Amino acid sequence: MTRAIISMAKRELVRFFRQGHRVVGSIAQPLIFWVFLGSGFGASFQAPGLPGVTYTEYFFPGILLMVVLFSGIFSTITVIEDRNQGLLQGILVAPVPRMAIVLGKVIGAMVIGLLQAFLLMGTIPFLGIDLGVDGVLLLIFGLTIAALGFTALGFLIAWNMESTAGFHAIMSVFLLPLWMLSGALFPVTQAPIWLEWLVTVNPVSHALLLIRLPLYQPAAELISSHEYQKALAVAVVWAVGCLILALYRVNRQERSIVVS
Amino acid sequence: MISIKKLNYFYKAGKQDNRQALADLDLEIARNTLFTLTGPNGSGKSTLFRALSGLSIANQGEIKMDGLDIVQHQNKIRELMGVVFQHPALDKHLTLMENFSIHADLYGMKQSLFRQRLDEDLAWTGLKDRLGELVGTLSGGMARRVELVKALLHRPKILLMDEPTNGLDPGGRRDFLDMVDKLREEREMTILMTSHIFAEAERADRVGILHQGRLLAVGSPEELKNRLGREMVVIQTIDDKQAETLNSKLANRDGVKVWIRQRELRVEGIDSKTLDDLLANHREQFCEISIKRPTLEDLFIHITAKNGEVE
Repeated sequence: MTRAIISMAKRELVRFFRQGHRVVGSIAQPLIFWVFLGSGFGASFQAPGLPGVTYTEYFFPGILLMVVLFSGIFSTITVIEDRNQGLLQGILVAPVPRMAIVLGKVIGAMVIGLLQAFLLMGTIPFLGIDLGVDGVLLLIFGLTIAALGFTALGFLIAWNMESTAGFHAIMSVFLLPLWMLSGALFPVTQAPIWLEWLVTVNPVSHALLLIRLPLYQPAAELISSHEYQKALAVAVVWAVGCLILALYRVNRQERSIVVS
Repeated sequence: MISIKKLNYFYKAGKQDNRQALADLDLEIARNTLFTLTGPNGSGKSTLFRALSGLSIANQGEIKMDGLDIVQHQNKIRELMGVVFQHPALDKHLTLMENFSIHADLYGMKQSLFRQRLDEDLAWTGLKDRLGELVGTLSGGMARRVELVKALLHRPKILLMDEPTNGLDPGGRRDFLDMVDKLREEREMTILMTSHIFAEAERADRVGILHQGRLLAVGSPEELKNRLGREMVVIQTIDDKQAETLNSKLANRDGVKVWIRQRELRVEGIDSKTLDDLLANHREQFCEISIKRPTLEDLFIHITAKNGEVE
């Protein structure tokens, strides 16, 4: 099964790098968002409790999260294309557990997202943040959990969709708001209560903390902090939960209805 | 090799509407035979194919392959089976080699065995020089060949093919069917193929005719055609009205059976006197007349007309 998983994951990477427009788009889009929004809000922004933090810097963890979100979405949307083109049924008749199909696809999409995030992490020194090796590792760990959550969620949604147009609709009304309501775009401390509540129950907010906190606190101190541990627990439950749901859904085979 | 007993398949066609796609289907396919399942679009071929390939499960009835129940031994049966789908299950962004390689990984083939078998299969399919090309650049006929090679790489005992010539031009169709014939000569394999083209079924050892989810006839092409027995006179009339006129004239005669499809009349049991009469007195009503042996399509028209389901 391991070989099948690696093969499926490798396929995702080869397909990604062979489609130049996907590579360019996935790198350019977050950069455009970051530069334009960062420049636009820069003058008027002051994060409560974070003196001296510019909007460009504040928005950075949100941009990293956005990279893994979009990567998860665009990689798992290929599930619908694979099904419509007949490719998926060729995989489903192979003697491998369906779990291998899910894991292969999710791991492949995660690696694509993480590679893009690593590229963006190259800008950290320019933000004036000094991140040690342990901080980098903790940041990568947070990104990995967020990538797992988004790709597993994307897979789960895509598996149930018949068209890519439908998936785009779900993306606009569900996946993007999850990101917007995570605190990635704006701090929630001065937001209305209902919005603050939405941000609190949103698991993606906790995934964002796993990315934001390592930028400002030493790794050893962070691991023992209650805030980090709580964020980690919620994000892991969300990511693993999405993966389990995806595995469960894929294992359910099409059946004839029972007529008495 | 393949045994189907009392197979029923229902699906939801609307909120309160259930449609039966397969009804009490019984079928035995012997080892090392080519069995073609034919019938018009919507007859249930694809539903049966999905059930046989394990993509969907029929709740009523039983399917066994090589003595193994298809639901209880899914993975073992998948190892025995090669599948060619109506739409090639190939990744067009990958090369031929990459597609084959993924297949080998999914079927747990050792690298040395994969290479050896790939070399063997490429030799007889003429794909050797194209291994590095992207699948997306291939013609439909070539993609079919790739699909066939892929399905054979793990050396299945059973090959299932769902309308494999669909979308191919006549040349591509002939080439593909010739490859299947060659395959049968060289390897021991049970092949089940679906097709809505009756002429394709003539190449099979045995044929099953499916209509509205029911298996109406099973036998060798010769046996099935012999059921109709005599040669037929096929008359192409100049329009539908003339077809009706000739039909009413011929249908009243003793021992004569007429099947009418738009402007075409198929007449069985016609004697030479009636034929002479047609040629002498009704020449202006038709544009072509021919005598031919019954085909599987004739049989299909015959048996469905008998059931009163098709005109």
